[in-house]
Amino acid sequence: MESALISGLQGLVIGVTNLGLGHVIMILIGSGLLYLGIQKGYEPLLLVPIGFGAILVNIPLADMMENEGFLRFFYDAGVRTEVFPLLIFVGIGAMTDFQPLLENPKIILLGAAGQFGIFLTLLLALAVGFDKLDAVAVAIIGACDGPTAIYVSSKFAPHMLGAVSVAAYSYMSLVPLIQPPIMRVLTTEKERMIVMGLVKQPVSKTTKILFPIVVTIFASLLAPKGAPLIGTVMLGNLMKESGVVERLKSASENEIANIVTLLLGLCIGATMEADKFLRGQTLLVLGLGFIAICLDTAVGVLFGKLMCLATGGKINPLIGAAGISAFPMSARVVQAEGQKYNKKSYLLMHAMSANAGGQIGSVIAAAVMLSVLQGMGIVGG
Amino acid sequence: MDTWTFGWTLALIGMGGTMLVLWILSLLILLLKKIFPHRPGQSAAKKG
Amino acid sequence: MATTVEAPMVGKILKIEKQVGDHVEEDEVVMVMEAMKMEIPIVAPVTGTLKEVKVSPGQAVEAEQALAVID
Repeated sequence: MESALISGLQGLVIGVTNLGLGHVIMILIGSGLLYLGIQKGYEPLLLVPIGFGAILVNIPLADMMENEGFLRFFYDAGVRTEVFPLLIFVGIGAMTDFQPLLENPKIILLGAAGQFGIFLTLLLALAVGFDKLDAVAVAIIGACDGPTAIYVSSKFAPHMLGAVSVAAYSYMSLVPLIQPPIMRVLTTEKERMIVMGLVKQPVSKTTKILFPIVVTIFASLLAPKGAPLIGTVMLGNLMKESGVVERLKSASENEIANIVTLLLGLCIGATMEADKFLRGQTLLVLGLGFIAICLDTAVGVLFGKLMCLATGGKINPLIGAAGISAFPMSARVVQAEGQKYNKKSYLLMHAMSANAGGQIGSVIAAAVMLSVLQGMGIVGG
Repeated sequence: MDTWTFGWTLALIGMGGTMLVLWILSLLILLLKKIFPHRPGQSAAKKG
Repeated sequence: MATTVEAPMVGKILKIEKQVGDHVEEDEVVMVMEAMKMEIPIVAPVTGTLKEVKVSPGQAVEAEQALAVID
């Protein structure tokens, strides 16, 4: 009887005695993410489940990421199969209005320039010694787009998923702080003051409906490995623009997106096990991710300057900063910055065009990347 | 393939490819707008 | 010469900062509008007297719609 009592009590103590320093640090990091989400309001929809997942997975002996563990179940079902990020893409497509882009399609090129940080960061990551595929996962933070980053890194470097997605989501919410100094350094006073007139090119309903179909077919033919990404975004957008499947559209952007966001966040938190996360490499990932977003902004603005030159000064280079995927934060930053230098300057709509271009751009960049990797025989397919 | 061949190939084709695909998309949008121009009052008259 | 203040984009008027009859300086905020969930100050294009305000808070406006007249 006595020994049974003691061994029974041991069951309650064993968790505490197995608690290592790593667990404690990770629980603190998880709590830090919760603090940022709840108290600071940085992407709470993601940081709350991610932070909580990180706490859960670092409770010793709870085994939630072991076989049969409940987090492992969702991870295997949704993240390893890449189903979760794809479902999120359907919701994003259903929420996004590409009208500003359709009105002014030339601006889409800024959405391409805003992705160059991905590829420049790839070179940096290789230079500091990351493996080829790990470097790809680090670089994709430059897409400045959570689901894209999750999709690509879960494919090539699942052990870095936690660091990559935390970097992607936290820098996305820091865009209003990261971008303005870069925009200021790279432009002249005169360029920042350029006033852009209204774009008056109304778009027919037929065009808006055909757009997602045409993009899916052409872009997927050029970059077949990215077809799942392109296809899901455009399916969501087609449901929105066609207006005939209101129920499916609404489910995609509400119920499905909400459920998947919860599970995806938990699973990402669950990849943050102490022995995988507490490495010097994680700090490098965070650092390079920051550089990636700075480079996106810089190349976007520089390309904006090029377009400014090419159009004889009709384009304000500041809108180049909105060529990233952080929608609509980045466009708002551009509006606020532009009006700081010229009170009569209203760049919001132009920046929205660039920002919508950036959303397509990030998906296309990832698609191109996957297809080139396939072409080089790095990944199967 | 050595690391730097890999890196530069992916970076250059990646940037060029992204730019090219988006440029093609912008041409496609222009084409769509040419074929199906907006007519005033269309959104009210035509539904679905 | 009267100058019209036009809406720079589609949106909604949030608040009117100036009264009819007020003197306004160039670049001074006349009203604030909301577009894409962002507050955007609409400034006076010229220095003058606010002659007329053509919109009221809460009203939806089209791009290029006349908002006010400054003389």
